[in-house]
Amino acid sequence: MDFTVDKQTLDDLNIFGKQGGISIYNFFCSTYTKGGALLLEKMFRYPLADKDEINNRTDTIRFFQKNKITFPFNGQLFDIVDKYLQNTDVRSKLSNEEDTLKRKFRSAIGVENEYELLHKGVIAMIEIINSAKDFIHQIKKTASFKSYEEDVEKFEFIFKINNLDWTQKEKNKKHLRYPETAKYDRILRFEKNREMRILLELIFRLDVFISVGNISTTYGLTYAKATNNVDKKIEIKDLYHLNIKDPVKNDVSIGKNSNMIFLTGANMAGKSTLMKSIGIAVFLAHVGFPVPATAMEFCVQDGLFTTINLPDNMNVGYSHFYAEVLRVKKIAYEVAKEKKFLIIFDELFRGTNVKDAYDATVAILEAFAKREQSTFIISTHIIEAGETLMKKNDNIKFLYLPTKMEGEIPAYTYTLEEGITNDRHGMVIIRNEKILEILNEEKQLTYEFFNR
Amino acid sequence: MKKNSLLMSFLIDKQTLDDLNILGKYAVNSIYSLFNVVITAGGEKLLNKYFHNLLNDHESINKRSQLFCFFQNGDYQFPIKKEDFVLAEAYLTQTNYSNPLNAFLHATRVQFLRKIGLDKEYQILKEGMIATTKVFRSLTTFGETFDNGLVQNPFALQCETLKTILNNKQLQWIKKSETDDKITFIQFAKYDYVLRYALKNELAELLHIIYEIDVNIAVAKVAEKEGFSYAKAYSKERNFLSFEELFHPCVNDAVGNDIEFSDEKNVVFLTGANMAGKSTLMKAIGVAVYLAHMGFPIPAKKFEFSVKDGIFTSINVPDNLHLGYSHFYAEVLRVKNIAEAVISNRYLLILFDELFKGTNVKDAYDATVHITKAFSKKIFSSFIISTHIMEAGVALQKEETQIQFLYLPTVMKGVIPIYTYKLQKGISDDRHGMVIIGNEKIIEIINGAHL
Repeated sequence: MDFTVDKQTLDDLNIFGKQGGISIYNFFCSTYTKGGALLLEKMFRYPLADKDEINNRTDTIRFFQKNKITFPFNGQLFDIVDKYLQNTDVRSKLSNEEDTLKRKFRSAIGVENEYELLHKGVIAMIEIINSAKDFIHQIKKTASFKSYEEDVEKFEFIFKINNLDWTQKEKNKKHLRYPETAKYDRILRFEKNREMRILLELIFRLDVFISVGNISTTYGLTYAKATNNVDKKIEIKDLYHLNIKDPVKNDVSIGKNSNMIFLTGANMAGKSTLMKSIGIAVFLAHVGFPVPATAMEFCVQDGLFTTINLPDNMNVGYSHFYAEVLRVKKIAYEVAKEKKFLIIFDELFRGTNVKDAYDATVAILEAFAKREQSTFIISTHIIEAGETLMKKNDNIKFLYLPTKMEGEIPAYTYTLEEGITNDRHGMVIIRNEKILEILNEEKQLTYEFFNR
Repeated sequence: MKKNSLLMSFLIDKQTLDDLNILGKYAVNSIYSLFNVVITAGGEKLLNKYFHNLLNDHESINKRSQLFCFFQNGDYQFPIKKEDFVLAEAYLTQTNYSNPLNAFLHATRVQFLRKIGLDKEYQILKEGMIATTKVFRSLTTFGETFDNGLVQNPFALQCETLKTILNNKQLQWIKKSETDDKITFIQFAKYDYVLRYALKNELAELLHIIYEIDVNIAVAKVAEKEGFSYAKAYSKERNFLSFEELFHPCVNDAVGNDIEFSDEKNVVFLTGANMAGKSTLMKAIGVAVYLAHMGFPIPAKKFEFSVKDGIFTSINVPDNLHLGYSHFYAEVLRVKNIAEAVISNRYLLILFDELFKGTNVKDAYDATVHITKAFSKKIFSSFIISTHIMEAGVALQKEETQIQFLYLPTVMKGVIPIYTYKLQKGISDDRHGMVIIGNEKIIEIINGAHL
């Protein structure tokens, strides 16, 4: 069972960075190894949809963060080892018969490149195995490694099954003699190649856990708690957006009795940003990563669909309105599957006239609100639609982002309040840009021109 | 005043070019690609120059459109084979000898190489020379077709130049040498010298005339095929635009519309349902005015206009999220830019599609009424403003006399909306958004009916 996210959503939330600015992926990607970065991307591509898996990953990251465990390997070793283990060409196998005087001579004058590479790979691999052994030894002394226990067992399984005791003997050696190199190379690269790769995968996972834990410390992120409690769908305390400096924090709470938030607010009051923050937090929580808030509890969802920057497709001849209709239709199909989706819709039906937008908003939202499994966050300018819905539906929660006028200048608090706002400051913005003055000024110029 | 206008270039910005889809050789359905049926590379360059340098006095506009008209009426065909021209062009522009001795030495060297069996260079040069003679002969015949007693020939000057060059004494051998293959070394050296040194400047001029012929014929052909006509330009003092049966060149079986602007009615307030064709009509006006300022044929039956200083459109304004602009703010800034342009250059054409669609109704209403009123006072510029907010139109109708109210109607056939694309007077209150939602059966889908 997967967590469903589509391209529109990934773009809206800037998960992989199409819009410019710092993407969420780039924000978290500070791994020590290339393999770790790839694994991190894979985790982002496939968020989890299982409570235990999510909590397990969260606990693991928290464990490393709490115990301030640093990555115990030299990251450069993995570039060497990666190439080394991929070379499974049997012709490159070293054999004892080749340990001739001729080889020694070639080695002495430094032309035995192929052998040097293999030698380097063996040394690096031994260092990795030894460090891993030490590391696991340390971990087991720590009291609460329960969430990481599965990985620890896998590590130990590899250490045991391959009987890698000999690595201890070669610890910290910079040079190995030819017969040893040939023997170890055979074991590492051919006989136990698969196990060595599993070992690397385990280390890449460790890399992700530790580096994400570091990010969490640096930015003061929090771990979300996954539940299967449908009564409390999403509870976030002090939520904020990662890309904003000195952000204002908001509490968001969506439960069974209010599975829809109807959000209003003036232009630039922060509606889109708030919706993006919610989307990002829910997304990260399903990856099992820490979120930008002080506390979060959520019922595991089956998917996330946002519609924040919907492009109209003029080449196909779609108007903006029709693009919106098609997007709503797509989401309607998903919602009808009786699954738990979080649906975020910014400025629903802005591409049509007022009356249509009103009718459509009321009709669509009423139908959506009956789908109690799913959760909806909808923003719109059509406050009249909100007033109508308020009378008829009791499972819709009405929130707004206020604007306070300081003389001519609108000031935004970015703090959610309950209710519907009819703040409109479009004319204020136009007045502040002095457009009408610019045009009226010209009247005088024209007359001057004629009088001349 | 006039001197000043000649110095100014036509005002247009990237947003406008993108909105109207004018430029771009490889852009789908761009206006440039519609006209790009030229044969020579130099012709393409010239066409490109026309697209980037618009005219802004009525005399040169009318002169150029008469030229295209003349070519269309004459139904001329490009007289030169493409293969021949490519070779001739390469040959003529390849080397510039610095003096006659140099030319002779070069010919001798080629001849020497040929004697020792390396005749590739000679073959290439000979091919080029032969192709050149073919081109010249075709041109001579082509030039004669212009002499058929035509009274007014806007291409006369170029024809005269063409004739003078082709009748040059040094080029008479071309007419005689029917057997191209039997060129002796002395002949080869002499001809090469004439073509690539002695008459270098004349032949460069000749090439340019060929490019012009190429473009003229290409444009005339497009006009013929697409049913375009030629606009008549007037000086800019009186603001007016008058279209008869205007259509968009990229729409199949387009419906033609009449529309007029004058200094008494310089604003068109356009309403209509979604998909009724508002944007297409506005784009058609923009494209026609752009083409008219190049002196090119335009997609209408008739078009008379006073020359403009520029076009600004606001059809697809993207929100700039990098800079933290909301869609509404991006629109406000665009309107501000245009307002500044309107005050510094009086004679403009401004197209606003769905003004202020990024905000709530009441704001959009207020803003539309105020901005439209302010713009309508600028009687030297013409404006088209389209909006969903018919209430704004009703308010403006009461007090403004500068504004014409037009709409594109929707006719309902049962539950299916049919669009006529034919302009009518008044304000539309067609609203079929709910019909579209009904047709897509969204409510039923949410309720699970289609699973």
